[in-house]
Amino acid sequence: MALKELSSLEKFLGLKKHNKYSTQGDNKVPVLQSNNGPVVGLLTVCSHLVNEAKRPELLGSSTEHRAMVHQWLEYRVTKVDGCGREEVKTVLKDLNLYLQDKVYLTGNCFTLADALMYYGLHPLVVDLAVHEKEQYMNVTRWFDHLQHYPGLRHHLAPVVVLRNRVYTSGHH
Amino acid sequence: MTKEDAQGSTAEEAQSKKGLKKQQKEAEKAAKKAEKQAKLAADQQGTEEDDFAKDQYGISAMVQSQQKLDRELVRVQDLTPEKADKVIWLRARVHTSRAKGKQCFLVLRQQQFNVQALVAVGDRASKQMVKFAANINKESIVDVEAVLRKVEQKIESCTQQEVELHVEKIYVISQAEARLPLQLDDAARPEGEGDEDGRATVNQDTRLDNRVIDLRTTTSQAIFRLQAGVCMLFRETLTNKGFVEIQTPKIISAASEGGANVFTVSYFKTSAYLAQSPQLYKQMCICADFDKVFCVGPVFRAEDSNTHRHLTEFVGLDIEMAFNYHYHEVIDSITDTMVQIFKGLRDRFQTEIQTVNKQYPSEPFKFLEPTLRLEYTEGVAMLRQAGVEMGDEDDLSTPNEKLLGRLVKEKYDTDFYVLDKYPLSVRPFYTMPDPSNPKYSNSYDMFMRGEEILSGAQRVHDAQLLMERAIHHEIDLEKIKAYIDSFRFGAPPHGGGGIGLERVCMLYLGLHNIRQTSMFPRDPKRLTP
Repeated sequence: MALKELSSLEKFLGLKKHNKYSTQGDNKVPVLQSNNGPVVGLLTVCSHLVNEAKRPELLGSSTEHRAMVHQWLEYRVTKVDGCGREEVKTVLKDLNLYLQDKVYLTGNCFTLADALMYYGLHPLVVDLAVHEKEQYMNVTRWFDHLQHYPGLRHHLAPVVVLRNRVYTSGHH
Repeated sequence: MTKEDAQGSTAEEAQSKKGLKKQQKEAEKAAKKAEKQAKLAADQQGTEEDDFAKDQYGISAMVQSQQKLDRELVRVQDLTPEKADKVIWLRARVHTSRAKGKQCFLVLRQQQFNVQALVAVGDRASKQMVKFAANINKESIVDVEAVLRKVEQKIESCTQQEVELHVEKIYVISQAEARLPLQLDDAARPEGEGDEDGRATVNQDTRLDNRVIDLRTTTSQAIFRLQAGVCMLFRETLTNKGFVEIQTPKIISAASEGGANVFTVSYFKTSAYLAQSPQLYKQMCICADFDKVFCVGPVFRAEDSNTHRHLTEFVGLDIEMAFNYHYHEVIDSITDTMVQIFKGLRDRFQTEIQTVNKQYPSEPFKFLEPTLRLEYTEGVAMLRQAGVEMGDEDDLSTPNEKLLGRLVKEKYDTDFYVLDKYPLSVRPFYTMPDPSNPKYSNSYDMFMRGEEILSGAQRVHDAQLLMERAIHHEIDLEKIKAYIDSFRFGAPPHGGGGIGLERVCMLYLGLHNIRQTSMFPRDPKRLTP
């Protein structure tokens, strides 16, 4: 899974050279053999790729911004990956509240945080019923925006999002 | 004295000490009792002495038709300001009674209507009479003679808001037991309110176990009057269209819809089944030249489903008609009948709808004229557009039916629509296949608020084709011989469908459990009352 992500990310970043990755450990942490030695861990590898592609703005433009990006990258790896059924609701609820007033996760600019959160949330969102997608309206809006972001989707199936609200009253 | 004696005497002493104490206690008790009795007697004497209104109230002898009283009893709903200052008699139930000093406030209830009544100490009523009124058990039936008075401030909690009764006589005709299994106010309380204020609501099982009392609530009265209205409008509309009402047998020899969900009864030395639908007999009537028929009767399905919309016994409203050239003539007739029913309910039963909505709020039922008709393939396309994955010939699952209902509501703004041309593989063997596409059939379902209420089709009226279809469905031809025979001597092309009375009422009113629209529901877990 992580390897597919990395491959998609490379395509998105426009990197001509496609790296070979290996994995280590039970958690299948991705490893990249670079000139300066092995780069271990999804986030580390992704940051490395971003720097290779000379797109440092994707990691944040100011110190504060960089901190926010990093916070969401951490969130992806610690809270989203491998979360069980019960936690899904909490994650979506929190995210829904957070995204009320933001276009992207860090505000108004697309960053690596959006890309990795999109990849990470995809398996959860793909299983949501229509009424759940309406319930987490802001997450759905952000998700739909990202899956249409040029060059991002690649290995993931598109999730259908209805333009109009279908569940207007409480009982469904 | 010997040692034993000594012991004996201390024992005696101990005993006598105990005995003394006991005697003392008994004496005290007796004294208290005597005091109490004396007080009671004094009280009673006091009450008896002052009771000048003794004949104006009390518990009447049981009405055994002892006499013919030429007395007019006014209905509560007719208590309006026009009758102010008149003395009237009425019979109603005591909904509540509350004493406040020298007054007693009663709410008297009659079906959906209630009115405030007042018993006040004065020249007409004595203290004892007020006390009696305050102690009448709830739900008791009383005869009251009173003066109707206009009130300055509207009484918001009653249906008759501009008047109140000043009671001069009050007699209990039928007393209710003091402890009621459920409180009517709780049973009529909207769900949300109960939780908020810590006041109780009554759960469904309790209601159903004490149905007689639960049915007295204004909501229940309204629901079942509306249900009677549906039956009445069904009959009225179809009779006006030239349909004939028929009665079909419910004890039959072969399961009509398939052997799985049928009740078996012992029939003398053999067994028989309770009819799962009047399907076979409706069709035989068409072959017998009745042209257009309908029937209203019980339907028995031994389905072990404990859901919000299944009963083991319900009332089926069934239609069957011969048509000229195309089965859409049948669909048009059925949808027009449904629309007439919806209009009739909207125009003639608005009071009942509003009453139900007070306890169970819901959106008013919307429908289009002419009725919206979508093809099955269109429905599947809409579902796929919303992200549902399903095959062309798959049947609609209940969640998909509900989602499709939502999508149709959003797109066309209607709660009632027809889905036409179902895949042949998911329909019964007697369904006529589509002439242009063997994968589909001339069959249709109708939906209200996203839930199926009618399944119908053009029937196979050719004995040969019918046998082929039965064989294809692996049905034993011997078991349906009589059915097949009815088509051998000239049968017109025909079609029809059946609806469930309880389900239609539930969905029209926007309720969520079919037991709310069945007076004495039957399900796998309930056989009484």
